[in-house]
Amino acid sequence: MKNASEGTPKTNLKQEAQKPGARKFGMLMLGWQRFKRNKTGLFGLTLVSIVFFFAICGPFIAPYHPNDQSAMLEFRSKSPPSLKNLLGTDRMGYDVASRVIYGAPTALVVGVGSMLVAAVIGIMLGGISGYVGGMADELLMRFTEFFLVIPVFIVILVMVRIFGIVVVGSVLEKIPYLNLSTIIVILGVFGWPPIARIARAEFLRLKEMEFVEAARCIGAGSVSIIFRHILPNALPSLVVIIALGIGGSILMEAMISFLGFGDPKAISWGQLLYFNYEFLKIAPWASIAPGIAIFITVLGFNLLADGLTDAFNPRLKE
Amino acid sequence: MGILRFIIRRLFFMVFLVIGVSVIIFFMINAIGDPIELLMAERPGITAEVIESIKSYYHLDRSLTEQYLAWLGNVLRLDFGTSIVYNQPVSGMLLTFGWETVKIQVLAIIISLLLAIVIAVTAATRQYSKTDFSVMFSALLGRSMPGFFLGILLILVFSYWLGIFPSYGAHSTRSMLMNSALLDSLWHMVLPVAMLAYFNTATLTLLIRSNMVDVLRQDFIMAARASGLKHSRVVYRHALKNAFIPALTYLAILFGLMLGTAPVTETVFSWPGLGFLYITAIQQLDYPIIMGETLVITMMLVVANLLTDIAYVFIDPRIRLE
Repeated sequence: MKNASEGTPKTNLKQEAQKPGARKFGMLMLGWQRFKRNKTGLFGLTLVSIVFFFAICGPFIAPYHPNDQSAMLEFRSKSPPSLKNLLGTDRMGYDVASRVIYGAPTALVVGVGSMLVAAVIGIMLGGISGYVGGMADELLMRFTEFFLVIPVFIVILVMVRIFGIVVVGSVLEKIPYLNLSTIIVILGVFGWPPIARIARAEFLRLKEMEFVEAARCIGAGSVSIIFRHILPNALPSLVVIIALGIGGSILMEAMISFLGFGDPKAISWGQLLYFNYEFLKIAPWASIAPGIAIFITVLGFNLLADGLTDAFNPRLKE
Repeated sequence: MGILRFIIRRLFFMVFLVIGVSVIIFFMINAIGDPIELLMAERPGITAEVIESIKSYYHLDRSLTEQYLAWLGNVLRLDFGTSIVYNQPVSGMLLTFGWETVKIQVLAIIISLLLAIVIAVTAATRQYSKTDFSVMFSALLGRSMPGFFLGILLILVFSYWLGIFPSYGAHSTRSMLMNSALLDSLWHMVLPVAMLAYFNTATLTLLIRSNMVDVLRQDFIMAARASGLKHSRVVYRHALKNAFIPALTYLAILFGLMLGTAPVTETVFSWPGLGFLYITAIQQLDYPIIMGETLVITMMLVVANLLTDIAYVFIDPRIRLE
């Protein structure tokens, strides 16, 4: 896929980068030029955009209110897809299409939110251990190894369940979507090791580069070197691992909700599967639609990450 | 460093890790709240005498550290305590349920490994062909397919619509398939194993293919071809051995993923394994089971990691033990 266009376009890119207009964007513009040529990456971007579109415009597109159970009154629950209900209705008389559309913002909030938490922790710890090295580095690497070996998913399940009981009757209970927020934070807290690994590798690589040396020579402090010189150059690799992580978190949340540990107040795709799985035989459409939504979203982020790798870190692929 | 010293060092890390995880779970359950209070929150009708007897039985009147050490001491004697809900020894339950889980997962790993090798080699030897492209494409799709959703689709098609395979359980409750316990159990295993194997095959295929493409370009392959060896021998004996090594490390990760997400797999198929047991234990706060099972699963993961490390050394003598 990416083989044929290796020799000539590179020089083209150089020329493009040297055009006066392009210089302003630098690395980003170069990356976009490369990204545009990658079909899988573009396909991923399209899928992700579709999900974002539904998440933002959901209330205007969805044919029914997510809590509209009027089909139940007309004895049309579990009815197959028809003109009235494009994807059918589920066992409680909800319109499947509307519920799936309203699940999109939940999925994106979970994915992006948990990765924000993970990125803050991961970049901080990975950056420190890469930049400082020595004992701190050794300690952090052992720690990430620990996280790589332990069965993270089942630990998360216990935490979600126990936290759900503990908050009953406390002040925290007033936070809207408390369960969902818990899941987001926990996914973030368990999701940082891959980000830390990449951040560490990038900081290790970049701190030896000439331009960092040069910055140090003209008297730049550590903080300025880290935030103004190293971090921006480490971002491309970090963005890739974060995009992968978003897909992963969405899948995790879907699995947690599918097992019945999700937020009962939020509409999420995993939750829809959980509610409708018992009626798979009678109303399969109510399970298939949210499943496909999860698949499309996760696939979108995975392909997007693939495309970003090609665009920003061409070294990684041959 | 000798292999023995390496193994001993890893074992040391293992013990540390397993204890670490059990400490996390133990203090999480306790620091967040008294297990008895949690139990009462779930079952309001419980009487004071029952609470007292439970307290003394599980040593809940002692300090947390003492409780943990008592638990650890019992575990060393293979005594995981008694399940609160089932009122059975946890160690026995872990054995019966664990066997069901290991059965499908090991089978799935073996099948996916064989499949992935054949598919990846076929694709890599025809790089950039249509076969290669479709293999890559479906593997990419497969990697993003949520396993449990695939399981749901399998049940829908093969047990509800076609009626070929059972949709739940590990054994028939009434009459067994052709009156044979083995056939009956295999019959139940088809769908769960297919689901697990599908996911692993996709990941392993991508990995082995890209390694294979690299290896096939190297000089020793050309030398082997030039010396007149058969194509299949060059590919399967010389190239595959080298392309396979990175996949080996990945096996431990895949096994970890499978075991960690067993609750989902086993909920989809109502499979009476560790994951299923875990879910009911969490729902009902059956705390000896949660503790025991986390320990056993972590231990299985760590042993799988150790085994791949050792296998690594035997397959690739270039690896130095550090």
